[in-house]
Amino acid sequence: MSAAAIPAMDKAPRRPTVLRMLMRDTGGAISLFVVILILLLALFAPWLSPRDPYETDLLAIMQPPDGQYWLGTDGQGRDILARMLYGLQVTLFMGLASLVVGGTIGALVGFLAAFYRRVDGLLMRLMDIMLSFPAILFGLALAAIFGPGLTSVIIALSIATVPLMARIVRSSALVVMGLDYIEAARATGMSDTRLILRHLAPNCLSAIFVFSTLRLGQVILLGSALSFLGLGAQPPVAELGAMAAQGRSFLFIAPHISVIPSVGIFVIVLAFNLLGDALRDALDPRLRI
Amino acid sequence: MSDTLLEVENLAKHYPIRQGVIRAKQIGLVRAVDGVSFTVKRGETLALVGESGCGKSTTARLVLRLIEPSTGRVGFEGTDITQLSGAALKAFRRRAQIVFQDPYASLNPRLTVGQTIVEPMEVHEIGDAASRKARVEELLQLVGLAPYHAQRYAHEFSGGQRQRIGIARALSVGPDLVVCDEPVSALDVSIQAQVVNLLRDLQQRLGLSYLFIAHDLAVVKHVADRIAVMYLGRIVEIAEKRALFENPRHPYTRALLAAIPHPDPSRRGRVQPLGGDLPSPLNPPSGCRFHTRCPYAQQICKEKDPPLADGVACHFAGQLPPAGLDFSGGLTEKAAQRMALYAAAAETRPG
Repeated sequence: MSAAAIPAMDKAPRRPTVLRMLMRDTGGAISLFVVILILLLALFAPWLSPRDPYETDLLAIMQPPDGQYWLGTDGQGRDILARMLYGLQVTLFMGLASLVVGGTIGALVGFLAAFYRRVDGLLMRLMDIMLSFPAILFGLALAAIFGPGLTSVIIALSIATVPLMARIVRSSALVVMGLDYIEAARATGMSDTRLILRHLAPNCLSAIFVFSTLRLGQVILLGSALSFLGLGAQPPVAELGAMAAQGRSFLFIAPHISVIPSVGIFVIVLAFNLLGDALRDALDPRLRI
Repeated sequence: MSDTLLEVENLAKHYPIRQGVIRAKQIGLVRAVDGVSFTVKRGETLALVGESGCGKSTTARLVLRLIEPSTGRVGFEGTDITQLSGAALKAFRRRAQIVFQDPYASLNPRLTVGQTIVEPMEVHEIGDAASRKARVEELLQLVGLAPYHAQRYAHEFSGGQRQRIGIARALSVGPDLVVCDEPVSALDVSIQAQVVNLLRDLQQRLGLSYLFIAHDLAVVKHVADRIAVMYLGRIVEIAEKRALFENPRHPYTRALLAAIPHPDPSRRGRVQPLGGDLPSPLNPPSGCRFHTRCPYAQQICKEKDPPLADGVACHFAGQLPPAGLDFSGGLTEKAAQRMALYAAAAETRPG
């Protein structure tokens, strides 16, 4: 073998960026596009909306989609397109805020339980206690304390997310804790914070991503359920779940009132799920070639 | 300055087994390591051999204080490291490092090789960014890799290359003691030879001391200066390499040596292979722990635990019939084979 057989490489091999990896995957590219579109629609709702979402037109109730009302009108003659755009804002904020708050606290608890085994029992029994209350019950209790509204819903959904995230993070962190590179990291004498942030957490990312995307769908549906019970977004505020619930009595006469917001929820959940999967793969250096 | 780097005295690690939820009762004690003493001199390789589950790896982790000992003392240059904490413990970590058995589990898949090797230097605040980068390149060359490998991820390398990366990481802080926990048992024989020879090269160049854990006696014969044989959490025999191979005094050592495959059937020893399994360290046998499998066991062996005296823990050391083993032939041959493989590999290696 001569030296010619070995390529002279002085520079780092060019590695695709995370964005490029995402775009390479069809599902990833489409879901990224849809998620950005959804976020832009929500952000620019006041400018995009054809009319006031609260304006009622009693001469045109339960209109099917047509030239004047692109997505039709609801039982009070309000424009569904306008309500969808504003509802998107509320639903997305509710879902993402509770996921971020609850998920962060939950992940922290999970890492601490896996890393400091002494507090493991205590933390996990606390999580079990939290797990034993249904999210709806938290919503009821918080609505009784703070009064019904979006804040109560977000707090309730965050609390309901904490134990689930904690359990999932703990179990995947325990697997990583048993690997040699954690022991090697300990042998260098680094601080616990550094060890957790640099060696433990990044290797638990895939579990966190998968669970977060699944949970976003659940959280949006739970939020809708709370709104439906009258504990969440208060009428006349538009919220996709609440809109779907309001249309239920007209399901046979004017199905579009329920179907359109439901399709909206479906698209949001699907897009975030696909994006989560694609992001998990794009962030894994083992798959980045 | 004395030439003893590491002095382990009566080291033990017991794992209690508890039962019950509210008031956990201790129902047993696993004696993973039970009173082990040895020393490692500067620049020396002490090999720790024994079958699976005898406490070799636990001893390694105790020596580095990756786990807390139940009792005993680990002296590193005269300081008992089992009592250290905070900055003093961190200072010790800089001087003692570890190389792992499984090259696939010992590198963080999310970090590049450069990040992996530079990290111990960052933790101990050695040098600045530029000098660390230069040091990473130097280390990569030292272990037979190229500087451009620093930008790659661990999964892009073979097992032998990963083991070299693990060695580079261990060396990055300039340790005096490197604990090698079966560093070659997960590798192909040809790659084993390369890694073993690399470890020897590095020892000569950098004056390292190794605590070398292995179960492959051929590898041990190649690298070790002294050998300690462990059985069920105890050291049963400790001797210079030559003495141990030529005149094994403990029946267990003999059985281990007899288990080495020999290419020539007529030159195999007369020692019968051991029957049975390693007893559980949860309830180790009374008296001499080896008596359940020892072909020479007598009544006293079941009653009295022989102390490690003059390098061997056996009531009848010196009175046993000659082993009649001939290890030199096969082993030298094997070692020669490996050296030839390494020489061939060295020629094809770039740089």
